[in-house]
Amino acid sequence: MTVALIGFALVLILVLLRMPIVFAMGLVGTLGFVLERGGSLFSERGMRAALSMVGRQIMDTAQDYGLSVVPLFILMGLFVNKGGLARELYAASNAFLGHRRGGLAMATVVACGGFSAICGSSLATAATMSKVAMPEMRRYGYSDRLSTASIAAGGTLGILIPPSVILVIYGLLTETSIGQLFIAGIIPGLLGIVFYLFAVRFTVWRDPKSGPAAERQDSGERLRALGQVWAVLLLFFLVIGGLYGALDIWPLNLTFSPTEAAGMGAMGAFLIALARGSLRFRDMVEALRETAFTSAALFAVLIGAQIFSNFVNLAGLPDALVALVTDNAVSPMTVMALILVIYLLLGMVFESLSMLLLTVPIFFPLVTSLGFDPVWFGIVVVVVTEISLITPPVGLNVFILKGVVGDVTTGTIFRGVTPFWIADIFRLALIVFLPWLVLVLPQSMGP
Amino acid sequence: MRPVLTLLRQASHLPVALACTALFVLMVMTFSDVVLRSAANAPIEAATEITRILMAIIVFSVMPVISARGGHIAVDLTDPVFARYRLGRWRDAAIHLAAGLMLIYPVRQIWVLAERARGFGDVTEYLAIPQFYIGWFIALFAGATALVLIGLGLLHLFAPKMLRPA
Repeated sequence: MTVALIGFALVLILVLLRMPIVFAMGLVGTLGFVLERGGSLFSERGMRAALSMVGRQIMDTAQDYGLSVVPLFILMGLFVNKGGLARELYAASNAFLGHRRGGLAMATVVACGGFSAICGSSLATAATMSKVAMPEMRRYGYSDRLSTASIAAGGTLGILIPPSVILVIYGLLTETSIGQLFIAGIIPGLLGIVFYLFAVRFTVWRDPKSGPAAERQDSGERLRALGQVWAVLLLFFLVIGGLYGALDIWPLNLTFSPTEAAGMGAMGAFLIALARGSLRFRDMVEALRETAFTSAALFAVLIGAQIFSNFVNLAGLPDALVALVTDNAVSPMTVMALILVIYLLLGMVFESLSMLLLTVPIFFPLVTSLGFDPVWFGIVVVVVTEISLITPPVGLNVFILKGVVGDVTTGTIFRGVTPFWIADIFRLALIVFLPWLVLVLPQSMGP
Repeated sequence: MRPVLTLLRQASHLPVALACTALFVLMVMTFSDVVLRSAANAPIEAATEITRILMAIIVFSVMPVISARGGHIAVDLTDPVFARYRLGRWRDAAIHLAAGLMLIYPVRQIWVLAERARGFGDVTEYLAIPQFYIGWFIALFAGATALVLIGLGLLHLFAPKMLRPA
């Protein structure tokens, strides 16, 4: 166990020295494996075993059928972006909420939630919505603090409301049903929207000038705006409905595997963007290129993490943790509280996927041995990961906003995000103490 | 030296184009598989193995390019500290060289695995595509990634000016 903990510390140091996460985890994982197998760092037997494990891991991960869902969902998000669906979502939520104080920020949160239902990435959701919502909020004189914060926080919903790339990877890592994870993300995602709406209310209550009301739209305009979001609903129904057997009716007779759902979603988004004439050849190539780059970077981290987790497992850390908890009769809730604190701390340094990959293989056996539900834990991990996306100093969504908007400091965004961060902590507590909120849907209708 | 770098930059479009094509084919194939299964009860039987091959192509063909562009996921929290003491260049040189050199061993191992598959005559289930082609492909591009990283490390050490855009 000591060796594994030293390994952890080394990874952390190397990562802080700016070594790419894949190489930090890969290097420490390989050397640790050599040590555990051969008894010393220079053992030839250990070296042979470690290299054999590393070679196999690289070959297998790159050719994993289950993981093909990752590039397809990323591609779907990018095509959706080109199809102008975010604009329609924003217009529709704006029609209903815009006339309230802080209404445009509320509309942003709701539109982010809607966009999350057709996009599996938080960063993509934040980047897309910032292009759509930010100019509008500026036009009505919203403070930068509120407008950027509502997008950065709303964007985090991307990885919780299905589809979600992070939930797919959690599912593959822990052999938990991806379908069940997706459906379990819906209620916590909706709760996230409601809590963020309260955070907007709180912000405009504290500073009424931060979010002035826009003009009210009549019911005809509202209905028209609502009618425009058909493409979003269609895509969501195709992907999530297909996954849940909603299309398993004559004459279609279709139930999708996660990869098929992602493929249908990507193709659907592609066709919608094409039909609307908003996808030039150059845009298509750009979307494909960006997807390939993002996927390769994610797969690299995945390979590094698997090498590292092989070492940690060989060093017996998960078993040692289970033994430690059982021997000392620590209550399950205390363990969970500790795990959440560790996540919140790690979230300050690591980006979402690396944090998940580094910790889940260690915590998962412990958590399930204590009787917690694997689907519930997946959602808890994703909610903590969402929080890390808006936690200083490396809250990635905040940096995305800074990158897209430009003339606003990260300090301003982080200050604006504070009420949303607190709302997230409340939501996390609610989900931890009321697991029912997460499990009711998968238990009643899971595949 | 600059012409060589320009040539390498131009050449990098090729593997990117390959990855884009593989990704597009993956999307269309998955869609067609589902539609054919539903409409004609005739799914593409080899879809799973083609998916696996396409995945390897998508992931590994762009690996040298993202390594060259610094596209790997990393944490830049300590950048200001390195900048203050003007150590950024040395740190980047060390990291690139270490990453490139440490990749050499797995690349050799993947090559060994591919050769073993060739020796056994391993082929894929439906299309009988020899497995070692995939191994060779991964080894080739992982090897290129190692070379790119080592090259970048050396440039950081000996010719940092080359790394700034012309």
